[in-house]
Amino acid sequence: MSATTTPAAAATACGAGPLMCDDPTAHLLRPGNTNCAGCGMSIGLQWLDQALGGEKPVLVIPACCGIVTAGAFPTSAYGVPTAASTFASAAAVATGIATVQALNGETTPVICWTGDGGTYDIGVATLSAAAERNEDLIYICYDNEIYGNTGGQRSSATPEGVVTSTSPRGKTERKKDMMSIMAAHRIPYAATLSVAHRDDFMRKLRAARATKGFRFLLLLSPCPTGWKSEPEESVELIDFAVRCGLFPLYEVFDGARYRINARPDGTPLAEYLTRQRRYAAAAGDPARLERFVAEQWKYLEAMAKAFPAGDDRV
Amino acid sequence: MREFITGNQAVVRGALRAGCDYVAGYPITPASSILSDFVRAFAGELGIVVQTEDEIAAIGQCIGAAMAGARALTATSGPGLSLYSENIGLAQMGETPLVIVDCQRMGPATGGATATGDGDVIFARHVTAGGYPLPVLAATDAASAYRLTYEAFNIAERLRTPVIVLSSKDIALTRQTVDLDAISLPPRLARRAAADNGPYAPYAVDRPESSPAFAPIGGLRRVRFTGSIHDERGLLTIDRGKIERKLTHLRDKIAMNAGSLEDVDADLDGRARTLIVSYGVADGAARVAVRLLRRGGTRVSHVTLYSLWPMPVRALRDAVEPGVERIVVPELNIGLYADELRRVFPARPIESIQRYDGGLIAPRTIVDHVVRAESAKRTEAFQPC
Repeated sequence: MSATTTPAAAATACGAGPLMCDDPTAHLLRPGNTNCAGCGMSIGLQWLDQALGGEKPVLVIPACCGIVTAGAFPTSAYGVPTAASTFASAAAVATGIATVQALNGETTPVICWTGDGGTYDIGVATLSAAAERNEDLIYICYDNEIYGNTGGQRSSATPEGVVTSTSPRGKTERKKDMMSIMAAHRIPYAATLSVAHRDDFMRKLRAARATKGFRFLLLLSPCPTGWKSEPEESVELIDFAVRCGLFPLYEVFDGARYRINARPDGTPLAEYLTRQRRYAAAAGDPARLERFVAEQWKYLEAMAKAFPAGDDRV
Repeated sequence: MREFITGNQAVVRGALRAGCDYVAGYPITPASSILSDFVRAFAGELGIVVQTEDEIAAIGQCIGAAMAGARALTATSGPGLSLYSENIGLAQMGETPLVIVDCQRMGPATGGATATGDGDVIFARHVTAGGYPLPVLAATDAASAYRLTYEAFNIAERLRTPVIVLSSKDIALTRQTVDLDAISLPPRLARRAAADNGPYAPYAVDRPESSPAFAPIGGLRRVRFTGSIHDERGLLTIDRGKIERKLTHLRDKIAMNAGSLEDVDADLDGRARTLIVSYGVADGAARVAVRLLRRGGTRVSHVTLYSLWPMPVRALRDAVEPGVERIVVPELNIGLYADELRRVFPARPIESIQRYDGGLIAPRTIVDHVVRAESAKRTEAFQPC
């Protein structure tokens, strides 16, 4: 295979002028984008940029709010090479890019940046296959628990009880446990991320960057539009989600060793639920969610005890 | 009662009127509200609605439901229709009644998710491998979206075939005043049911133009369902005679019913030299253009196509014969249907008016084109040799 054209050479060849904006100092997420106020994905993109410390990744983004973020010129938001894939094929397109880059001896990280629809639903086949082959990719799912880009339909990441346009009386099914599914692929690294825990976020991003093979990161991403919450409370909401135990912060190494990063501190679930009108239908039965949280922690604690991460680096 | 509804709402109403009782879909702009409207419509347990994990599952569920006896519908846009492709072939092979709504948007790929276009008119006809025909209807507004969705169920049931109804972003999401009760509809048709006993072949070819009697899979009669080539009993076969018989039937049951599938609105002037043929979003502009041209003294004929495939050749011939010198085809794509018309009318100039940047063709564009063409012709006639 001959694939020796560098991005710079390609830009020169097609006569690209100053409009290409090949500004090496540009942030990954530029200002002036049209994302909603209080969007967790926007915070995640900025922190991803900071965690990479100036290194410019290749982003692969399927249909989701993240690809609308790219916007129309001149509000183009991404300061890094960005490939928009079809909804189902982010991990596949990223595999192609990473494979050829590796053949060319390039070490640029290839990062899939996808929503929950493209991860839990339509994209799960290509995601699973890339994980099974242990492709050298970082796959980050910003999970806002809803199809935000198409106007707020339920996904299999939507928690039980949540009202969406296609679950008007509250979703009756439970949220899919994507972390367990990915850990079961025995990938080198899987971790959950919180926009309310910056140090933890940064450490995990750096750990992912330093690891070879398939890395899966799951970010709970507040979505004021879909969650019917106040934009200024987005970060606080995620803090509550972690503290009440609904969203555990943990890491799984090689799918076999567990490390819990933060444990519930007794914050009542209501602190999280009552600040979002999407939970209005579920409010009548918080006991179901409490049982879910208890079950989740019983499982996690058992795994962390039986299979501790021990002296895994980071 | 006059209502103010979107094309998508009209699709839902037409489907409910047709007895649709199973809907599976996946969110995609501009079709998503069909799915969420069915969630509300079926809250009273009139039917089943499922939001699936992707488009392959959406149409797959509909095929399973239809083979078990349901009247199923799925709605999507171009990227989703691409993922329906293989399963549309399965529905053809298994003679599955199924209604597919494609709310078109600018393509290819993601194209313009919120930009209009009628770019799927050939894709819909050739959406799956093998080249066997399937009926394709095209709405022009909310009223026709309602009627055609209803008609699509009748065609699907009568011919046991997937039927595609084309809409488009500007029809799907635009509100229009419409009196649905004033739209006359034919009686609701159901697929011919198999007898409970006696000999039964689920894919019998009794007559080339008719479809086999239906028994639900898992019911009293033994029904096999397969995408592989099979005989009249549904058993896989390598017998070339049986293979040809089956595939000829897939062609003939659509082709031999082409006359009854023709659905056009012909507004003809026997002395017109220009015929405007329009469909989809561009039809509204064509209607206004016809009014303006006639007001200005230009004689024109106009045919609105509601059925695109099979091509309504009989109605088009009727419109062309009296002495039409040119056929003008405004459409929101790169001249796709005009190209098809050239095959049928090779002797007539087919003049294509195209727009594919997400904007609409203005009536004035059509008027100017026709006026220029008519005066050019007149000048030409007086030129000395």
